[in-house]
Amino acid sequence: MSGVSAPLPQWRCWFGAGLCCVLLPLARAATPVSDGTTEAWQFMANQLPRDAYARLGRIKGAPTREQALASAVVAVDYQPVTQDRLHDAEAAFAQLAQGDDEVADAAAYMQARLYQVHFQQPDYIRAAALYRALAERHPASHWAQLGLVKLGLLELYTLPEPAAPADRIAAAMALLGRIHEEKLQRDLHLQIAHAGTFYEQPLDLVLAHLKEVDRIGGLVGQVPEDLAIELGELSLRAGHYADARKYFEIYLRDFTPNLRSVTVRRRLEDLAVLEAKAKEGRP
Amino acid sequence: MRKPRARSLGFGLLAAGYVFAVFWVFTRSEPVVASRPVTIRIAHWQIEKGPPDGVDAVIRRYEELNPRVKVEQVLVPGRVYNQWMRTNLVGGTGADLIEYGVWLDGLTDIPARYFEPITDEMLRPNPYNRGTALEKVPWVQTFTDGLLNQRVNAPDPGQFYAATVTEVSERLFCNRDLLRKITGSDRPPRNFAELRALFQKVADYAARTGEPIYTLAGARDNAAWLMQYLMGGAMMQSSQRNDRHGTLSLYTWDEIGLYLEGRWSYRSPEAKAGLTMMREISMSMKPGFLQSLRDAATQEFLRGDAVFIFAGTWDGTSIRSLSTFPIDVLRFPQPTRDDPVMGPYFFGAFADGGGGTAMEFYLNKQSPHKAEAIDFLHFLTSVEGNQLFTDHSGWLPSVREVKVPADIEAYKTPLDCYSFGAEYMLMGSTVSEAIYRNLYLLTDTHGSVDQFVDAIEREMPAAARADLGKEVSNRAITVRPQDVRIVANAALGWRAPQDASLQVARERLESSQTQSEALMLQLGRQLAIAGPAR
Repeated sequence: MSGVSAPLPQWRCWFGAGLCCVLLPLARAATPVSDGTTEAWQFMANQLPRDAYARLGRIKGAPTREQALASAVVAVDYQPVTQDRLHDAEAAFAQLAQGDDEVADAAAYMQARLYQVHFQQPDYIRAAALYRALAERHPASHWAQLGLVKLGLLELYTLPEPAAPADRIAAAMALLGRIHEEKLQRDLHLQIAHAGTFYEQPLDLVLAHLKEVDRIGGLVGQVPEDLAIELGELSLRAGHYADARKYFEIYLRDFTPNLRSVTVRRRLEDLAVLEAKAKEGRP
Repeated sequence: MRKPRARSLGFGLLAAGYVFAVFWVFTRSEPVVASRPVTIRIAHWQIEKGPPDGVDAVIRRYEELNPRVKVEQVLVPGRVYNQWMRTNLVGGTGADLIEYGVWLDGLTDIPARYFEPITDEMLRPNPYNRGTALEKVPWVQTFTDGLLNQRVNAPDPGQFYAATVTEVSERLFCNRDLLRKITGSDRPPRNFAELRALFQKVADYAARTGEPIYTLAGARDNAAWLMQYLMGGAMMQSSQRNDRHGTLSLYTWDEIGLYLEGRWSYRSPEAKAGLTMMREISMSMKPGFLQSLRDAATQEFLRGDAVFIFAGTWDGTSIRSLSTFPIDVLRFPQPTRDDPVMGPYFFGAFADGGGGTAMEFYLNKQSPHKAEAIDFLHFLTSVEGNQLFTDHSGWLPSVREVKVPADIEAYKTPLDCYSFGAEYMLMGSTVSEAIYRNLYLLTDTHGSVDQFVDAIEREMPAAARADLGKEVSNRAITVRPQDVRIVANAALGWRAPQDASLQVARERLESSQTQSEALMLQLGRQLAIAGPAR
């Protein structure tokens, strides 16, 4: 128990210094770069476009591609949003989209979004063309994949062709094979199912998509509760009694009881009668 | 000799001054700088008897637990609430937590523009429930209804926006003494047939004695609640027929869209049955009651001029604390299968209030103290906080595990009745205005069901289009800024790929945006198919 420690061997000193030389750059690399752009993105993520705009304005020198993207993106939600400002943003997106990096894909996606939801007068055909072009150019990019989901919505409800409901749904279904991200597949499955009920398409088609949504899972808000009931009720209407029972029981088991539970219990009673009739071979 | 005396006097004065200063500091003074560095404000219109005391009690306890934070309760009368809210939100001076209701006229764009989703918080346990049975339960599931109404009305179906404080229902408050005086018995009517018989007895009594007594206290608000309730019940079968999505409920935009598709109207026999009952009840209220608001109906009832008042449980504390006679709280007598008017459309007992929770507070997007505001909301809706609110307000709790005092147990709606969500009254602000504008044709002595139906059906095509158009605009207001947040979360992910929460946030935003956008396009398609109003 000596109170005085022995001096470190020389090799340990050199080893320690070497370790510092290696770890410090690594630690620096692991730390997010704080050049103002991160803060601007953070402000945008927190719905504070005015602060993001101000932060980007303080960045000195020629903007990087990412900073140019940030400046164009913030213009989309910086109030008051004017058509002139949106057109400027579109020009910036179009230029950035010429590149071959993630910034280019995000910019191409945002350019399509302007035509779909941001301009006062939407141009769905132009938006669809931009989504298709992005998916052709970089099919694996997340932005291309997300664009295919949005393209699906346009196919379901707004594009002039195909016009017949069944063809609209078929067009959206054709996109599913090109979407590889499961969560995005789920989102499009859900919307195809809802379009199916809206257009009163065959219930088995609708149920197939709802079951995919249920299999992938991960939704929050009102949708999971509605989904369980839709699967139960539409299965009942389609004559798939075992499925109907399964999903109604899942609903009663997994969700906070409310007045809809009373209707679900009544549907289970109706179901019991139908099951008994089916057993007896009666229609 | 003079010098030491003067010195002693000086020291004495100094000591006295010091003692006085110490006394003052410890007993009288207030700090020059506020001891609580953060002040948050919670604003609402529930200035009835009860809620302000309930919220005060919660604030007192919260401030004990959180010495850094001061909470101010801002009480705004309902008559000016809409203007107050919009002006303050536009001016950037809105309170941190704001009560909002989807039925408020002309304010449907407010949540999308000014309120921030609290989805992440809702999916985690409420920290103030530590040590209770709800300790590990996600916040959203600690509410008695799982926040059903707020989820349904959220501007974005994939997000949570509000937390509620109380459960509401509608009840028939009965003046027991007056009932006994007129009928010779305390026994209230058990079904609508018995209520019909009572209408006649009360009318006979008033004619015989010359006293201006009516069966029900009347006002525009109470009539609207009654009509909502009756129409919801009468249209139950129609709602089920029109439930093409299979959700066993209809959203307001479903009702409007289905109207434009010609799948229901006020001319349908079911609707006319509900309106006929409404007219029948109106005839047992004071003539001209549509000119008055709910305070007038409450006063009429408290004066002993009406046997019953049909009111929300939100008026319960005022009615019971101000009355000079014993009051019974009843559920409204319902028509039965053999009812001559409603019988053919009978589905079962229908909901009187829905059992949903309300008095919902939203987080102001511009709040400078979001963390503290959320923290207070957590406490307000914790078992401890909500118990304090219940005990001091006389209103039902919104949170499970909170004990309901025996005197308000009757306010609770047990799960023994049906609701299809649709009310055929508050579908949108333009439709509601049209209904209110023409309601006199239904409730006036010289009016009739047909007069009301003819008038409302003339206005509905344009009103329904206007409201569906507003739904589309409101969805667009929600959807557009989400693009910015999606790209921002992705860009933050490029810089910190190890942070999985950024990917989760982006994926959740993408999913909820797609849902809102799809609904917006679907409603737009309904409008396009319907074409302009003729």
